[in-house]
Amino acid sequence: MAPALAVTLNALGLYAIALVLAIAFGAQLILHELPCPLCLLQRIQFALLAVGPVLNVRFGPRPSHYALSLLVATAGAAFAMRQILLHIMPGDPGYGSALLGYHYYSWAFIGFAVAILALAAMLLFDRQFAAGKPLPQIGAFARAAVWLVIALTALNVVATLLECGFAACPDDPKHYELLSFGQ
Amino acid sequence: MEFTLLFLAVAVVLLAAWYGSRTLALGLFAATLIACVATYLYHASAVLNLSF
Repeated sequence: MAPALAVTLNALGLYAIALVLAIAFGAQLILHELPCPLCLLQRIQFALLAVGPVLNVRFGPRPSHYALSLLVATAGAAFAMRQILLHIMPGDPGYGSALLGYHYYSWAFIGFAVAILALAAMLLFDRQFAAGKPLPQIGAFARAAVWLVIALTALNVVATLLECGFAACPDDPKHYELLSFGQ
Repeated sequence: MEFTLLFLAVAVVLLAAWYGSRTLALGLFAATLIACVATYLYHASAVLNLSF
């Protein structure tokens, strides 16, 4: 695989991360359901998953960049599994609404597992790491992907501040702390 | 508040990866990932007050 193709695939990965963050944020706004602390932690892992691809786009593909994403995906899968196990008892309704039959944390686990498989698949192609090859030009497609993920992460900074305020985030949030004057 | 700071840290790491040096981005990444795991361990060991 040529480095240019690897960079394009990394940009596609960034679009996939942006899609996950956008769906989670959209569901929060449309369904009026606030993410719990573990849900937020999983969203943070999805955003942190983007660091590897961003480094690959900027500095060219390196195994260490993929390793960063593998570490994050493993941590994210563990966090999601913890939440799945919290709600595994029969009769437990789970946290929040189900989306296409699965709760957000189940989808998150599937997402992180897919990320681990995709990263392992990318690492199979050694030619992208060949020394001496010039760095691929960063096109508008890749730039837009990077800025989309940064913008969605920044949006989550604001949304989480509104939800949790300046204190510890509640385990079972019911309203936006900074938008609930007089409640 | 801790999650706001973690999201902010991720945004800073992403900006460092895009504009800054690779070393800086890797250092900030490591600090953020450790903070995430520490936050998880805190929440995993704290009493969970859920109401359905």
